[in-house]
Amino acid sequence: MSLNAEAQILRQVPMFRNLDTSRLKLLAFTSERMRLPAGQILFRRGDTSDAAYVVLDGKAEVFFEALSGTVKVTELGPHDLIGEMGVLGEIPRSASVRAVTDLLVLRIDKQVFIELLEQFPRIAIDVMRELAHRLERTTERLASISK
Amino acid sequence: MERSLFHYIWRHSRRDQIAIFIVVIASLPFYFMSLDLPKRIVNDAIMGNAFAGGVSEVVFLDLDFTWPDFMGGGTVMLFPGMTVGQMGLLFGLSGLFLFYVCINGAFKYWINIAKGALGERMLRRLRFDLFSITLRFTPDTLRTTKASETATIIKDEVEPIGGFIGDAFVQPLMLSSQALTAMVFIMLQSVPLGLVVLLVVGVQFTVIPRLRRVQLRLGKERQLASRLLAGRIGEVVDGMDAVHTHGTERWEKSEIGERLYHLFDLRFRIYKWKFMVKFLNNFLSQLTPFFFYAIGGYFALTGRLDIGQLVAVIAAYRDLPPPLKELIDWDQQRLDVQIKYDQIIQQFMPERLLPEHEPATAALTELHLAGPVSIENLRVQDQHGTVLVEDATLSWPYPGCVALVARGDGAALAAPHAVAEVLARRILPAGGRITVAGHDFLSLPEDVTGRRIAYVGTQPRLFPGSLRHNLLYGVLHKPAQIETAASAFGDGGDKTRVSEALRTGNPLDTPEDDWIDHSAIGMLSPSELDALLLRHLALAGLEDDTFHFGIHGWVDTVRYPELGKRIVEARQHLRARLSECGMTGLIEAFDEKTYANQASIGENLLFGASRSPQFTGQGRARNPLILKALDAEQLTGDLIGIGAGITAAMMEIFSELPPGHALVTQFSFLASEQTVDYDEALRRYQAGGLRRLRADDRVLLLTPALDYIEPRHRLGFLDDGLRQRILAARWRLRADIDRAGEPCDLEPYRADALCHNAMLRDNLLFGRLDASIANARQSISAVVTDVIEDLNLRPAVSAVGLDFDVGPGGRLLTARQRAGVELARNTVKQPDILILDGGLGAYSASEASVIHERVVALLQNRSMIVVAGENTDLESFDAVVTFDDSGAVTTTVPGDLPLRAGA
Repeated sequence: MSLNAEAQILRQVPMFRNLDTSRLKLLAFTSERMRLPAGQILFRRGDTSDAAYVVLDGKAEVFFEALSGTVKVTELGPHDLIGEMGVLGEIPRSASVRAVTDLLVLRIDKQVFIELLEQFPRIAIDVMRELAHRLERTTERLASISK
Repeated sequence: MERSLFHYIWRHSRRDQIAIFIVVIASLPFYFMSLDLPKRIVNDAIMGNAFAGGVSEVVFLDLDFTWPDFMGGGTVMLFPGMTVGQMGLLFGLSGLFLFYVCINGAFKYWINIAKGALGERMLRRLRFDLFSITLRFTPDTLRTTKASETATIIKDEVEPIGGFIGDAFVQPLMLSSQALTAMVFIMLQSVPLGLVVLLVVGVQFTVIPRLRRVQLRLGKERQLASRLLAGRIGEVVDGMDAVHTHGTERWEKSEIGERLYHLFDLRFRIYKWKFMVKFLNNFLSQLTPFFFYAIGGYFALTGRLDIGQLVAVIAAYRDLPPPLKELIDWDQQRLDVQIKYDQIIQQFMPERLLPEHEPATAALTELHLAGPVSIENLRVQDQHGTVLVEDATLSWPYPGCVALVARGDGAALAAPHAVAEVLARRILPAGGRITVAGHDFLSLPEDVTGRRIAYVGTQPRLFPGSLRHNLLYGVLHKPAQIETAASAFGDGGDKTRVSEALRTGNPLDTPEDDWIDHSAIGMLSPSELDALLLRHLALAGLEDDTFHFGIHGWVDTVRYPELGKRIVEARQHLRARLSECGMTGLIEAFDEKTYANQASIGENLLFGASRSPQFTGQGRARNPLILKALDAEQLTGDLIGIGAGITAAMMEIFSELPPGHALVTQFSFLASEQTVDYDEALRRYQAGGLRRLRADDRVLLLTPALDYIEPRHRLGFLDDGLRQRILAARWRLRADIDRAGEPCDLEPYRADALCHNAMLRDNLLFGRLDASIANARQSISAVVTDVIEDLNLRPAVSAVGLDFDVGPGGRLLTARQRAGVELARNTVKQPDILILDGGLGAYSASEASVIHERVVALLQNRSMIVVAGENTDLESFDAVVTFDDSGAVTTTVPGDLPLRAGA
């Protein structure tokens, strides 16, 4: 998969939707492509948040380790962004992630991510907007649960 | 040092000066004979004067010697000569002329060499003397001395003095004798004209030097100003971080600009004076002929002087101005050099120096300071006269661990540190008496204190060089007896070295001698020494750091002849281990026959490692060997095309980031400062392809292509055909290098041998990591460490770390590592007394306390003095000395009542 194809996939990520092609390429070029065989752990709950990941191909699942075994939270596929909250909030990983099928991800280093936000307010605004949307959805869900 | 330069020169070089002078005198007769010969050749041989009157043969080369009358007279025939005809005489005289030319040339050669050697020897002596004096600067002097200024003095300012020394005595003697001869000749012809010449020469000799004095004063100012400039530039370079932190680049530029203007102004004024004086000098020289023509002509016309005499005087006068001019120049140079010398000497005044260092005797070097310390009425001041310690009296037993504590927040704060510095001989007290192990401490030479006392302060001073050199710095005390042995057994080149050292007052030691004080650390083999250093580094908490340096270091197989083989073994173990764990895919192994995808195009092409600029960076794109191989496989166009593609991609990707941005420096192929060049090269390439490119463009565009790694950069430039041709170019390059048969800086990768130019870690991996496998780096590091542990290679790898170059002032180390090296260096020398004055400040609190415990354990039978910080646990000390604001000093034993109260 070439840099151009990766840039096209990044465009599907909501947070990066409004970026023009050259910035998407910048994001892709400064990131590392990584392969994980099915079953391998990407990171564990409690690890330092040193990078965010975009799924390029394959499936991954988010899970917690409980006494009774693992509890699957959600499944992620292409275009999904993983671990960006930890990077932005400078907090350890809140859950574990592993590959369900063979997985191809783009690893965006924390330092690079922060540099990009600092350099391009446009990306920062998009990230904020996306976070605000998520917060809104969570609030709605909370409201619907507590009803 | 002597006040007067001439005393200094005379004292150290009179024998050589006299020898040169004698040779110069001996050469003169030959010189005059060679001047006389052309006349004889023309008159006697060619014009045939010798054969006038029908003589057909003359005697040639007859050598006889007539005794002076007072010795009885008579003639001794040395050589009867040969009878020759006109042709014979011509060739004989011409041959004689050639002979004199050779003789004169030989004399000149010898004199020039002797003068040059004399100057260089004196320069060496002068520089060495100045450096020796620098080592004697008092602490107060050092505070006001700028390192870069001292360096300029020793390096640059003495240079002209050296050039002058060869001529210092010989030149004026020669010139004045020449001038005197001409003068006497003129006087003999005509006294009045002689007096006129004398008058003009007198004016020249009084007025011109006076005028030149102004010029010299300006020259002196210029010397000072350029010295200050050097000092200032040194300061800016040392404090560059502060300049950048405060963004004061512009201020610094204007400051230096102003100094440069001042220098220009001085130079310009010097020029104006110089040429004015030159004009006057020329004028005076021309004035004499005027007098000759006017007055001499008048005398001739009035019949008081015959025309022949006038012509002779004028002819003789032609010989007078050149030596006079040179004499005046010599005098000018003398004044100039004397002023420079004075300027230099002023920086090295006796009142700014410590007493001269006596050579250590065996008794002194074996003297230990293992005994109680007793301090009486100690008084310490800083350079402003502020009292740091007032009349302190204290003592402690040996062995023991003593804490110096300040109680209060005023005058006492600096006291423990001041006492520690006095005991380390870093400052001299203003008064008081210190006795250590029964010796008067303040009068002990550095040979004793430097060996027996260790001081670990907050500012480690590391010297550029290997970690090993820095660790051994405290034990570089060569025993005295080796010195005589070296001079006695000098052979060949070494003999010259020794005799030159003796002639110039330089030391006979060389840095290659065995400098290690084996009486301090024991008679150790090189490997035992490494083990000792590693133990002390481990004590200072640098075990892992040293291992890290080692694994990222280069193996010196001269020092460790066996290690190369063991690393190749470890390489095979690593390969086996990886396949056991199913991790073979982590590393793409190097193979002569296949293209390594995880390595760059350049690495694939070279298939070897080099540390020479010809085979790294942009040097590769200029290397004719590489270019030839690329051309042969018709790769040049393809690679430049790839380079252009990369350049275009980089231009697009990084276009919106400012040049020099962290992301650009970290990720872009193109250096920020070359962006414009790349832009132009790319435009030319897009407009007209390869043909439009200039030579520099080719280098620019080829370089990024050589750094390209397809799986990492993912720009899609490589296909199998290209890979195959790159392989072919690899083989061709290797064949070309082998065929040339010359030593080459490119060392090929071989599966069964160590590659000296590659890092130890790369030698173990012998391949490139596949970075696209998740957590590849961590996994491989763990396996590498395992293999090294299993093969028991860790000490050997750490020993390679001892070769790590710490950089100027240890700048390639972290603050913690610098502190660790400083501590280890001090424990290595096994001191009787170790002073810890904030030296653990760079460690985290928990690590500092662990290391403190280790040092205490190491020194349990010796003495340790700790300047206690706020968090120091005083309970563990044998004695605690407390300084309080009132100036009182109390010694307590923890858990006990106060022992003794000082004043």
